[in-house]
Amino acid sequence: MTQTADPLLQEITGPTPGQLLRKRIFGHQGLLIGSIVLGLLVIVALFAPLIAPHDPYAQSLLARMEPPVFLGGSWEHPLGTDHLGRDYLSRLIYGARVSLLIGLVAALISGLIGTAMGVAAGYFGGRVDAVVTFLINVRLAMPVVLVALAVVAIFGGSLTVVITVLGLLLWDRFAVVMRASTLQVQGREYVAAARAIGCSNTRIVMSEIMPNIVNNLIVVITLEMAHAVLLEAALSFLGLGVQPPTPSWGLMVSEGKQMMLFEPWLVLIPGFVLFALVLSINLLGDGLRDVTAPENRN
Amino acid sequence: MKRILIPAAALAMTAAASVQAGKSDDVLNVAFTKELENVDSYFNSSREGVVLQRAVWDGLIYRDPETNEYKGNLATSWEWIDDVTLELKLREGVTFHNGEPFDADDVVYTVNFVADESNGVKTQRNVNWMKSAEKIDQYTVRIHLKAPFPAAIEFLSGPVSMYPNEYYAEAGPSGMGLKPVGTGPYKVTSVEPGRHFVLEKYEGYHDSPKGQPSIGTIDIRTIPDVNTQMAELFSGSLDLIWQVPADLAEKLDQMGKFTVANESTMRIGYLTLDAAGRTGEDSPFTDVRVRQAVAHAIDREALVSALLKGKSQVISTACFPSQFGCDQDVTSYDYDVEKAKALLAEAGYPDGFKTEFYAYRDREYAEAIASFLNAVGIETDFKMLQYSALRELRMKSGSPVSFQTWGSYSINDTSAITSQFFKLGSLDDARDAEVAGWLDAADSATDPAVRRENYSKALKKIADEAYWVPMFSYNTNYVFTPEVTYTPTPDEVLRFTDMDWK
Amino acid sequence: MLRFILKRAGLAILVAFTVSLISFSLLFLSGDPAAAIAGEHASDQDIEAIRRIYGFDRPMLLQYWEWLSSALMGDFGESYYFKLPVAGLIAERLSITMTLGVCGISFALLTAVPLGVAAAIRPNSLLDRFALFLSVAGQAMPSFWFGLILIVVFSIQLGWLPPSGTATPLHFVMPTIVLGYYAMPAIMRLTRAGMLEVLSSDYIRTARAKGAPEGLVMFKHALRNAIIPVVSLAAVQMGFMLGGSIVVESIFALHGAGYLAWESISRNDLPTVQALILVFSMFYIVFTFLADVLNAWLDPRMRAG
Repeated sequence: MTQTADPLLQEITGPTPGQLLRKRIFGHQGLLIGSIVLGLLVIVALFAPLIAPHDPYAQSLLARMEPPVFLGGSWEHPLGTDHLGRDYLSRLIYGARVSLLIGLVAALISGLIGTAMGVAAGYFGGRVDAVVTFLINVRLAMPVVLVALAVVAIFGGSLTVVITVLGLLLWDRFAVVMRASTLQVQGREYVAAARAIGCSNTRIVMSEIMPNIVNNLIVVITLEMAHAVLLEAALSFLGLGVQPPTPSWGLMVSEGKQMMLFEPWLVLIPGFVLFALVLSINLLGDGLRDVTAPENRN
Repeated sequence: MKRILIPAAALAMTAAASVQAGKSDDVLNVAFTKELENVDSYFNSSREGVVLQRAVWDGLIYRDPETNEYKGNLATSWEWIDDVTLELKLREGVTFHNGEPFDADDVVYTVNFVADESNGVKTQRNVNWMKSAEKIDQYTVRIHLKAPFPAAIEFLSGPVSMYPNEYYAEAGPSGMGLKPVGTGPYKVTSVEPGRHFVLEKYEGYHDSPKGQPSIGTIDIRTIPDVNTQMAELFSGSLDLIWQVPADLAEKLDQMGKFTVANESTMRIGYLTLDAAGRTGEDSPFTDVRVRQAVAHAIDREALVSALLKGKSQVISTACFPSQFGCDQDVTSYDYDVEKAKALLAEAGYPDGFKTEFYAYRDREYAEAIASFLNAVGIETDFKMLQYSALRELRMKSGSPVSFQTWGSYSINDTSAITSQFFKLGSLDDARDAEVAGWLDAADSATDPAVRRENYSKALKKIADEAYWVPMFSYNTNYVFTPEVTYTPTPDEVLRFTDMDWK
Repeated sequence: MLRFILKRAGLAILVAFTVSLISFSLLFLSGDPAAAIAGEHASDQDIEAIRRIYGFDRPMLLQYWEWLSSALMGDFGESYYFKLPVAGLIAERLSITMTLGVCGISFALLTAVPLGVAAAIRPNSLLDRFALFLSVAGQAMPSFWFGLILIVVFSIQLGWLPPSGTATPLHFVMPTIVLGYYAMPAIMRLTRAGMLEVLSSDYIRTARAKGAPEGLVMFKHALRNAIIPVVSLAAVQMGFMLGGSIVVESIFALHGAGYLAWESISRNDLPTVQALILVFSMFYIVFTFLADVLNAWLDPRMRAG
């Protein structure tokens, strides 16, 4: 069944002419824009307590849903307040922490699982490969959103549960790409040489194979980070993500949804930040691929 | 953005108004928010189910929602033979929607069916006080009770409706759910389970205290999202929505294009605190001062005025004020952060403490309440669970603090709430034998004075000890187009017979 | 060829079986559903009775075995909530999800393939840049947010499209766009890449050299070759998309299988959730299987793998 993953695979492992073109258009601009936006968001997340004008949890029931300053609000709350009178800007700033943390940790967990499986399959081949390929197929056949929703419903939503669930669900692409990359590297002379002089499997994998596939790994990490951030937002939107009062952008969209027709900014602002974050991660990933795999360029 | 949107929305509505003038089609389009599991009223437990039940079926008795006076419906008169036997004279000449005539056999069959626990009626409490029914003659029946039950008449005028014996014997609950047959003012012409119900005026409706139906067709669709409901209201494809959140109702009212009506409901919201130490001997909530501190920490006035709005009120009793026996003369705790902090310090928690805080619905209210607790130093670990999961947890091991609500299934009697939770059952977090004793005495007595006195004692102690922190009553907003006339009742039941075109 | 198909089919069945075992054990962990079935007004005795009647106290493997053996006969049990057979409940709603899926993938193909072809014909043109922008932005846009924006603009402000329901084809317009746009970027990129590759190949150059009309070259020779991988990608995307219809259906209140899944999860209606997970994974499995067979049929070299 793996052939059908091929288009997906090509798309990731080697730049298609499409990506080359994108490079020509965005060039390093894409990488640049992506890193700047992402870098800004990371800084905002790291220094949230210093930047945020208010306590993101402090409620004021008398000042609910005040409009942002550009819609006639006051500078006291530049982006207005939410349905419990909490400062919207501060919640957005703290929300960056949640999204980035979930994206990063979930991608790392799934990266560990997927890389281990993919490299093992590519390196050992045979039965190991067959088992890993089967597991990848099983995983791909499970509807991610549905399974994640069911698990969160069972264990109750919390940061830990959401991260764990996403980490355990998103390893498929790592496994597919790492398996293919390992197969590619496998045949090179230095691997054969290392085998010939009797290096241990661990040593070969760690010092000969991994360094040569790590750039593909980084690209997949960015893709899956973006994927995890979007999924968390979707889970929170459906009411089964992180628990309130934790500020999550998906949750903010969900909370603002009720007043969408009258106060659309409640939905537009967090949705836009989410869009910007995912876009910047994707741009960064695409840029990195172009920069780190020059030998693949036609 | 806001300024652009509302006029546009209003425009969309006026554009649609021309379509609506065709209310000459005599169809009232209504939205339900929740999917109804089964139209058979004995096999669902939701508001939507009650609405359909009142439209499609009739009870033996009827309580006028205005005057609270009991009137005959399918029965014309009734009398207690003794404490456990009620004899009823039935109305003659009533026919079910399928043409089956109504008589004593239908009553006997229905009562015997629902009273039999093995038939699995969903809300056992509605029916398990009845033992059986007996036919005296074609239009006289006796209902035998298991034990004296003061609220019998209330239940006979509420959830206990009469089914056609021949049809029900054949169709059963699932058949009844798909093709309901009753004697009510509206007959069901189409059911798509959970999604779509079409009711039509029953021309042969008897002379019932519910009044005659006026609107020809009621078309009910399930639309889970309130924004979508509003968009359809604007575009004219809905005529009436209900259970509209307070903020939205307020905005719709400001638009001035719709009628917004608000009525209170019997549901109240409260915190239940782990006074008995079920989550552990050292639970801070075993100390009455901590519980009182919680009560002082919450600005209930602000919750009502900013979040619930409408006809909601702040309450201090562990029951809804209109319920029989719900004595309002109990200790009330005002909003006083300093006092709350002082009480906590006195109890040995000058810096507060950390606790889990559970809720299962109304996340907005629960979050606001938790935030008030945080403000006096009680740091809350907020946990929103599904109803069933929280219930299981509370049954097994209790919860330190949990935000609960209870609608008393619209029974206007304190036994429907206080007695459900303070008689040492699995959801009783106080486990106070004295309170349970008073409630037992009140529940089984037939003399109203004795009942009142005992409920009062129980409620006073519950308030003094702050076992619960009662907070507010709920309300419902009904929004409909100017062509519809309707005055909602406080029991949160949509009565289609009370609706008409202007 | 037959051997290849049988082998793939066997693998597909094994995958389906494993998915069902995993999802069953997951749901088993959710504990005792008795309280959920009993509802808010139930007493402790009611809950205890339900637990006995449904047999929730028995070992998991036994319950799984019972579920599996009747599921194989097409009986997925009775919904805890509706008290109706799950199979009928799902069958009834599946048509909406299927309609949505077919519309979504058609929309994605009908927009992405022409865009991809156009972009490949004139690389670096304005259109190409636009297509590129769409594909980058498309991947980053949260679908629930996109859906809400469409409702605000097209239903409320402009009043052009109905916001919810399934009554007319117009009702499917916005859900189709929201569901379809997510599959667009990948299809477009693949079409474009495939076209560029084919266009630079020898036989196209030959065809051009012979003086064949440009349109004929494009559509008869180039597109026909470039489209093959796109079709199999579309099949796989279709499987993914149906799984992703939960969000879309809940926004637009389409009473399809995805919405049923979400509601059933919040109602703790395990037989329905269990059956739906299986149904959605079957979609993926079947579409992947079809794509494999199609590939092998078109390209005999693939039959070996």
